[in-house]
Amino acid sequence: MARTADPTTHRLPLTSLLHEPLISITLDKGQQVYQPGQTVRGEYQIDAVEPADIRAVELSVLWYTEGKGEEDFAVHYFERLTAGDMLATGLHELRRFQTELPNSPLSYEGVVVKIRWCVRVRVFLNNGKDGVAERAFQLGEVPYAQAVLP
Amino acid sequence: MARSFRMYGKKRGHRRTGSSALGSLGEAAVFAFFLALGTVFLVLLLKMPVLPEWRANHEFVETTGAVLGKRVMPSLDGTSYRAEVLVRYTVGDRQYDRWTYDVTFNSPWAYSSNHDLRQDEVDRFQEARPCPVWYDPEDPATAVVVRGYSAWLWSLLLLPVSFIVIGGAGLVYAVLGWGKSPEHLAAVTQLGRRLELFEESTPLARDYPNVPRDANLTNSPGTRLKYRLPITTTQGWKLVAAALVALGWNAIAVFFLVKSLSTSGDSALRAFDWRLLLFTLPFLLIGLAMIYFLVRQFLIATGLGPTHLEISDHPLLPGRFYDLFVSQAGRLMMNFLEIDLVCEEQATYRQGTDTRTEQRRVYATRVFDRRKFDIPQGMPFEQQCRIEIPPGAMHSFQADHNEVQWKFVVRGEVTGWPKYERVFPIIVFPKPQAR
Repeated sequence: MARTADPTTHRLPLTSLLHEPLISITLDKGQQVYQPGQTVRGEYQIDAVEPADIRAVELSVLWYTEGKGEEDFAVHYFERLTAGDMLATGLHELRRFQTELPNSPLSYEGVVVKIRWCVRVRVFLNNGKDGVAERAFQLGEVPYAQAVLP
Repeated sequence: MARSFRMYGKKRGHRRTGSSALGSLGEAAVFAFFLALGTVFLVLLLKMPVLPEWRANHEFVETTGAVLGKRVMPSLDGTSYRAEVLVRYTVGDRQYDRWTYDVTFNSPWAYSSNHDLRQDEVDRFQEARPCPVWYDPEDPATAVVVRGYSAWLWSLLLLPVSFIVIGGAGLVYAVLGWGKSPEHLAAVTQLGRRLELFEESTPLARDYPNVPRDANLTNSPGTRLKYRLPITTTQGWKLVAAALVALGWNAIAVFFLVKSLSTSGDSALRAFDWRLLLFTLPFLLIGLAMIYFLVRQFLIATGLGPTHLEISDHPLLPGRFYDLFVSQAGRLMMNFLEIDLVCEEQATYRQGTDTRTEQRRVYATRVFDRRKFDIPQGMPFEQQCRIEIPPGAMHSFQADHNEVQWKFVVRGEVTGWPKYERVFPIIVFPKPQAR
């Protein structure tokens, strides 16, 4: 009982593929568990791609549901950088982000409903492809739920 | 890690992998098809016969003509007919003799397979008698002897208009979302929602996204404690639905019963009656069972007396204690009365064309339990107890397809009655954080 969701879980492994952008996301001090109202801070970096190949980059701090039901998700923080913005500051620079987390919904590891928080970076390339990377974190410390008989 | 562009993807419900660009293109193409189809249909309808009908009623000039002849004319294939009236009328110094009827005369709309209907139409005209004629001032050779609006025709306009609205709105949505990521679209949508919340709701609702609003829980003061909790109102609807089904079923069963009993006379017919009666019998039994179920539910809903729950505070927070007051009215010999504090997850998903909902109970604890007691007439059973929302409780959560619901479930059993259950939803908020 009282287990908590694995904060290191990633939806996608943070590894690079040939000729596709390498995206790395790190959270300050390697923090994985945050409380409502705390500020999540971190940085991300894009590599293994030419600046001219990038159309836009989007960073989102969001929650989504997993489990039996259709996916629900909501974006808490969103920023979009165009190719011009990227060129102005240098593509391979570490880019910082920070946002104050809301009071809800808290991360939840239920039986048919699971709520997960993450930082997601999406890179749009000029050839129509896009690359996505996520860094999961936990909001709150709600214990794992277990099914009980009615 | 980068995700590559995929032509095809797996899909379950709204979850889709693969090319979003291709998906958006397909979506836009479907809506564009609807828009084009609606537009073409609308133009055809306007061209003939909507606009001509409107012109005939508003712009055609009235004069007096004479009926020279009349007939019901079959179509070339002989399967449909139209009414034709030969009229003579004069415009200026020129005289016209024309076979005509209404404004649809030269279109397929003029024909009907009902010969008698067309005959009645021409019979209203008498030969060699004057009659009103309306002619087109732009083309006096075009005239009608019947005007008016076809209601069915104008209602037909709803079809292309609905296609245009659906196709147009969908196309605008697809174009606005073109090239945007799901996160970008969600951010734009949620900005609107947040502005609505900012304008409308209490700070509590604004500060706790996806926690259901508690307005319905705090708008009814209690007699002993601060708030009276609302009861889930599904019981009434269940009763109405059961009544309608029982009524329909029994009406059909009684119809067959009457039919099987009403014939009499020769022995052959009587033999057939018995077969019909035997056929009807199972339906009658099912109908009687439905009436029994309906009466039982009705008695449970009305005969047991109301159950009230009141709570000492709201919002409810994990790790906090609250007083709960229960009141059960009615003259009853109770076998038991118990109250559970329950948390359930609810997930909605699509499977094929069906929408399914799955519920799982993840927390249940008995907060009140009383066995074998009597409730006298006019003296409701009243009891107060103390409950705790568990310290590690997940807060109430509500999204489009996923929910976490908290509620009190009251169950009871009265001697000689079936068990009953009444549900009182509550909302648990996240534990406040020290900032």
